[in-house]
Amino acid sequence: MADPQLQDLRQALRAVVDPETGHDLIAMGMIYDLRLDRDRALVTMTTTTPGCPLAGFLRMGVETALRAVPGIREVAVTLTWDPPWSPDRMESPRPRP
Amino acid sequence: MPGKSLSPWTLGWFGSAVIFLLLALVLAFVCDLGPGDWARPQALAVVHLFTLGWLAQVMLGALVQFVPVLTAYPLPRPALALPALLATGAGTLALSAGFLGLDGHTGMQVLFRIAPLVLGCGFALVAVMILPSLARKANLHLIEVRMVLIALAGLAGLWTTGGAMVLTLGGASLTVDLAQMLPLHMLFGIGAFLSFAAFGVSYKLFAMFLLAPETAGWQRRWVGGLAAVCAVLMLAALAVALSGAFAAPIRLALSLPALALCGLYLDDIRRLWRNRRRPALEPNMAWSRVALVFLGLSAALLPLAQWQGGRMAEAAVFAALVGWLSTLTLSQLIRITSFLTWIQVFAPLIGRRKVPVVQQISDRVTASRALALWSASTGLGVASLLFGSHIAFRLALAGLFLAAAAIARELVAIRKLWHLPVADRPPCLPPIIRPSVHPLSVAEP
Repeated sequence: MADPQLQDLRQALRAVVDPETGHDLIAMGMIYDLRLDRDRALVTMTTTTPGCPLAGFLRMGVETALRAVPGIREVAVTLTWDPPWSPDRMESPRPRP
Repeated sequence: MPGKSLSPWTLGWFGSAVIFLLLALVLAFVCDLGPGDWARPQALAVVHLFTLGWLAQVMLGALVQFVPVLTAYPLPRPALALPALLATGAGTLALSAGFLGLDGHTGMQVLFRIAPLVLGCGFALVAVMILPSLARKANLHLIEVRMVLIALAGLAGLWTTGGAMVLTLGGASLTVDLAQMLPLHMLFGIGAFLSFAAFGVSYKLFAMFLLAPETAGWQRRWVGGLAAVCAVLMLAALAVALSGAFAAPIRLALSLPALALCGLYLDDIRRLWRNRRRPALEPNMAWSRVALVFLGLSAALLPLAQWQGGRMAEAAVFAALVGWLSTLTLSQLIRITSFLTWIQVFAPLIGRRKVPVVQQISDRVTASRALALWSASTGLGVASLLFGSHIAFRLALAGLFLAAAAIARELVAIRKLWHLPVADRPPCLPPIIRPSVHPLSVAEP
């Protein structure tokens, strides 16, 4: 069974929304990795494109949202574009042609 | 620092361009322009307010904003954006006033001669800003980047042909054959500069807005190659024309790669569309399809326009400038202005509280109605030029003006957040044309 605090972290990330699509970052497939090291949250995330003007804001938003989770004292966010994001990472189903 | 890749004057470029668009449409109506009138000095003034003031300014502003997204590399000299904006605006006004001088207003002659210099300074400043990011070795394999580089070569060709014609018309010792230079001037401006830049930028923008995979297929590689072939042919035709020889065969030969290029681009966009993950289309993408139809129409008319000239050429140029480039630009302008406004006001609040999505700060019904009126008026304009109907063309101009005014009002509504409930608006909004990101104290209600 998954760590309850890790579940809380995932829940907190569900509140961070990509403003273009209205989907949260987990549904967008932008969170590559989420780990917990005692009271420290470690996140590896991406954006839809490396030059995304929102990259810095999304990173700050993730830090802010996770820091609000009880028991979390420190958050380390790593932005990566390797592998690059693709729409195939999204949770939502494909539209019918 | 978040938001550092935002160019502070993008909305200044867009605002200036929209004012030029409205001015051009009003003057076209007031001067009673219609089919066959395009050699009149007033018509030349209106055409340059439209092409340089509206289309070129909005494209240059978009490139300054978008090249860092395309290349994932910030502009090294972003402060040059304001002088470039002022130079292109002043140059456009001087050139248009100078064209009026051809009608006997002698005081305008000086403006006519200095206009190419002022415009050249504006274009050069933009090139100095964006070339270092585009020409990085890591980005040169991207077709989108190559298209924008070819577009900058097209801009140089546009300026050279335009400058040569101004010198000739202004009575300088250097003279060129205007009949040879004018078609080349239009090919450089509409094709090499504006269309190739639009192709390059749209590959990235469409993929982002449709949530479609960005992978470049064989069509895109061919589009890049054919764009280079077209640019080389145009430059060859320019060299031939400047030497005084007959350049028409090269210009006519250009029709074949240009047609193939447009066909492959449209097929590539169709592939992107079919692979999208966004089922419901926003107005910007829905109405971009109309722009693509006008691109197909203007490309189909190109060989006939080159061969016959006259009405066919007028209709092809109108379909390209008003139907393809302007419909695409107006559609995307609403979306990009919404996005930049959202970043300014709400991006610093991500993760802190619930924020509206970008779509909520524009009104899709207003945008769709205005774009529908624009598209229908454009269709009427093309038909009126083909059939030589003066009254239908004036009706089309009136429709275009009403549509442009409605879009301008919608852009102001977006900047003022009029479509959001009052409770969701911050107490202090950023300036209407300067998109710097404000600290949380400004954004937090």
